[in-house]
Amino acid sequence: MKKSFSSAVAAMAMMVAPALADNVKIGYMTTLSGGAGIIGKQMQNAVNLALEHQGGKLGGMDAEVVFVDDQRKPDVAKQLANRLLKSDKVDIVAGVIWSNLLMAIHKPVTRADKLLISSNAGPSPIAGENCHQNFFSLSWQNDQTPEAMGKHMQDAGVKSVYLIAPNYQAGKDMLAGFKRHYKGTIAAEVYTKLGQSDFQAELSALRAVAPETTMIFQPGGMGINFVKQWKQAGMDQVSKLYQVFSVDGVSLPALKDSALGILGTQTWSPDLDNPMNKRFVADYKAKHGGYPSFYAAQAYDTIMAIDYAIAKAGSKDTAKMRAALAAGGIPTTRGALKMNSNHFPIQNIYLREAVKDADGVVTTKVISTVFTDHADSYASACKF
Amino acid sequence: MTMTLILEQTFNGLQAGVTLFLVAAGLTLILGIMDFVFLAHGAQVMIGAYAAAAITGATGNFYLGLLLAIPVTFASGYLLEFLIIRHLYQRDHMEQVLATFGLILFFNEVIRIGFGPAALYSDLPPSLSGFVEILPDTPYPAYRLAVILAGLVLALAIHLFVSRTRVGAMVRAGANNPMMTAALGINIKILFRLIFATGACFAGVAGMLLGPLTSVQPGMGEPLLILSLVVIIIGGIGSVRGAFIAAIIVGLVDTLGRVFLPALLRLVIDQAAADGAGPALASMLVYILMALVLIFRPTGLFPAKGS
Amino acid sequence: MLGYLVDLMRLSRDGIRDNRLLWLLIAGFALFPIFTHFADLPFWNDVAMRIMLLGMAAMGLNLVLGYGGMVSFGHAAFIGIGAYCVGISQFYGITNGWAHLLFSLVACGAAGLVIGYLALRTSGIYFIMITLAFAQMLFFLFVSLETYGGDDGMSIDRAAFGVVDLYDPLRLYFLTWICLALVGLALMFIVRSRFGVTLRAIKSNESRVEAMGLVPLRFKITGYVISAVICGLAGALFASWQEYVSPDIMHWTRSGELMIIIILGGLATLAGPLLGAIVFLLLEEMLPWLLGVVAPAYAENWMILFGPILIMVVMFGRGGLVGLLDRWWAADKAGRSVR
Repeated sequence: MKKSFSSAVAAMAMMVAPALADNVKIGYMTTLSGGAGIIGKQMQNAVNLALEHQGGKLGGMDAEVVFVDDQRKPDVAKQLANRLLKSDKVDIVAGVIWSNLLMAIHKPVTRADKLLISSNAGPSPIAGENCHQNFFSLSWQNDQTPEAMGKHMQDAGVKSVYLIAPNYQAGKDMLAGFKRHYKGTIAAEVYTKLGQSDFQAELSALRAVAPETTMIFQPGGMGINFVKQWKQAGMDQVSKLYQVFSVDGVSLPALKDSALGILGTQTWSPDLDNPMNKRFVADYKAKHGGYPSFYAAQAYDTIMAIDYAIAKAGSKDTAKMRAALAAGGIPTTRGALKMNSNHFPIQNIYLREAVKDADGVVTTKVISTVFTDHADSYASACKF
Repeated sequence: MTMTLILEQTFNGLQAGVTLFLVAAGLTLILGIMDFVFLAHGAQVMIGAYAAAAITGATGNFYLGLLLAIPVTFASGYLLEFLIIRHLYQRDHMEQVLATFGLILFFNEVIRIGFGPAALYSDLPPSLSGFVEILPDTPYPAYRLAVILAGLVLALAIHLFVSRTRVGAMVRAGANNPMMTAALGINIKILFRLIFATGACFAGVAGMLLGPLTSVQPGMGEPLLILSLVVIIIGGIGSVRGAFIAAIIVGLVDTLGRVFLPALLRLVIDQAAADGAGPALASMLVYILMALVLIFRPTGLFPAKGS
Repeated sequence: MLGYLVDLMRLSRDGIRDNRLLWLLIAGFALFPIFTHFADLPFWNDVAMRIMLLGMAAMGLNLVLGYGGMVSFGHAAFIGIGAYCVGISQFYGITNGWAHLLFSLVACGAAGLVIGYLALRTSGIYFIMITLAFAQMLFFLFVSLETYGGDDGMSIDRAAFGVVDLYDPLRLYFLTWICLALVGLALMFIVRSRFGVTLRAIKSNESRVEAMGLVPLRFKITGYVISAVICGLAGALFASWQEYVSPDIMHWTRSGELMIIIILGGLATLAGPLLGAIVFLLLEEMLPWLLGVVAPAYAENWMILFGPILIMVVMFGRGGLVGLLDRWWAADKAGRSVR
């Protein structure tokens, strides 16, 4: 009896041998060197924290993450993607902060029949006509967050808004997304230089117009500079400031109190009330001495999603993992994440305010939910 | 578009201009007198900003930070010249480009390792956080006004130094004809070292003044470097006076262009096209200006070398 | 015609050594895929591709920078134009690879002519700045062209060159190799030809050349156009390899990289740009790995080693790496002759 049972087990084991292979290898691509290295560092910290939380195993398999630094260059990203696929023979490629880099590696990775999971970038071509079934976004589609901002301001009865964004594709996409739901008056649409550090001229022009509200998209160092100078010029007396992607876990440590009171929309906030998020934020703070940013949360979610996919699929086979992820219900720091037909999340988008926590550290807090189960606008153009 | 707005923007342009001048002054002297292509000048801006931010953070006093950061920047320039730069004067311009490019990488990484990749927190000193009404109903940040004044005072000081003192005369002679100056028995080695250190100091001061306004982070000096190269081309290499005038012009053109060009374009072409072309053109404006100057005055507005 | 051939025969001793190194390197690239196949390191073919493309562009720039003494800070613009020609043709449904190539070469030649004509009125640092200005303007132009993706760029499908299907990466590798060899051959002839010698003479003493009755500007512009076309070729192949094009490809820091590579390898040598590209890209690959092994906490700060390496090459090696090799060669020979 025992013999036949064990041989039956052995036979079954042999049949599912590939699925019960020992380990899963993930290639994680971010920018670790150079000016934006701080973002990549946070994501790396989050990935390592996720692995720690899962005991080094994803879906029951030993997990190995190969971190690569794309130096924010598309050709380096392409080369790294090829290396991860051909040399390191990874099972999944994940990460990618920037839209242009994601566009560069999208084809090579999906064509090699490996899953490509974005922890941040979400350009519209990949959500729409150039979509591919092997791609999943664990972050958002670029337009979603500003769409929520537009909706909030429309619902709040804001009569006029002054828009400022840097003059590049993401900047234009942000403002386009904003205008999709906001139907009031656009006092002006100003495009600043990418990487600009001094906004005094734009602030002076703004003061002359004295709009009811101002909405900005100035990611990274640009946001730090803008908000700083906004406060220094006393612009709060002139207009009310709203933002997307400009005041977050990366810029708050440099802005400190000057960011207090600023409203923005985001798909995640450190104070989201679910067990996974609470654990993530607490452990991240304890380990790295500061609040995680949304980049970090999304990176954490990516690893958790891979864990979920392998466990549900019972293997690291691309088609099976794909089915598992596409079905949605993925446990993340945002709760159970639903997936749209183009493999972008359907999620809530919240209104957040920068406040001081009990320890006097400035962080963001959720004020209200602008969109419940919001889907991006490009899914209909996507046909696998 | 009122008169007050235009005047306010002029102040902004002036402030951008004097900051640019502080960076360009050192660079034009280094390029003009030592014939040395010093690409790492932006790194000096960064060093000054970090020195001031760190000392201010440690002591809690902005002015102390400024005061102590100046000798630090001077020393860093002095040391750099002594250790590396002076060996490269005889080299081809291209090799100087390569070496100073390596210096940029090195400095950026040292700062990144020493202070971390995130931006350093630095803010306005409380005494200068208020506003001054430069025009009725136009509160202007007191700090920026102070920057303009500081810049103008420094520019005047440099001008007087270069035109009224003996050392200044040596500097002018060096700019005009280095070999002859050396032949006249002036210790060209020490002169070069002092010029280099002083140039580094000015760039550092620019960084120190900008720190509270913008973010203090690795690589913060590079955008200023490109712009100051444009300034010294327009002004004429080796001429501090040219650098000043060109810096003010570039500061004004860049500021006023950014703000008024899209609106001006809207008068000529339709809204959508103007919104698209405006910002792109505004970014190119300074380069177009430089190209125009070069077409009509190929050696700049006030060249130092005998025309 | 006979005169040209006679010129070619009269190769100098240095010329032969320089040629040897160039062809040694080019042969190396041809044999490299065999090595990677057996060592099961297919990824390294990608590195070799990038080196070949960068080296090709650098060789183009070297014609005007090293041999011609014209420091153009805007040559990345031509790589960009070449790449975008491929992208834009695809965008409008043209899939023939030969058409792409033709388009790229013609567009770059035209751009080179216009920019060269306008910029070559100046010289020295002014020329550097004006070429930078033109490159910046082109960069901002492509960033603002939303139809072609703006700074998010465009995806490209690899083209069909008649019977040659470029989807096989090895085929693209050898196509690039052939182009590299052709460029090397062309430059070898150009540099030794009457035209090339005149160009070098202009770098050395322009007024003397003028006094001989020649018009320097014509030679300079011709050289500039040739170098622009070579860079355009590199750009077109690059777009095919990357299957993607964006304005990053013509950012001024790319022009700087090209210059660094040429200076590192050795100005005014045939092998220099290629050697410089090899060393530069290998350092980019190896240094992070090295730091990852020695001091993992600082792996992303690998540029702290890269910078001083460049400085040392300048301080201790005149004439770049080729110069270093030359001296080592000569010292070795001298040592042998003494015995």
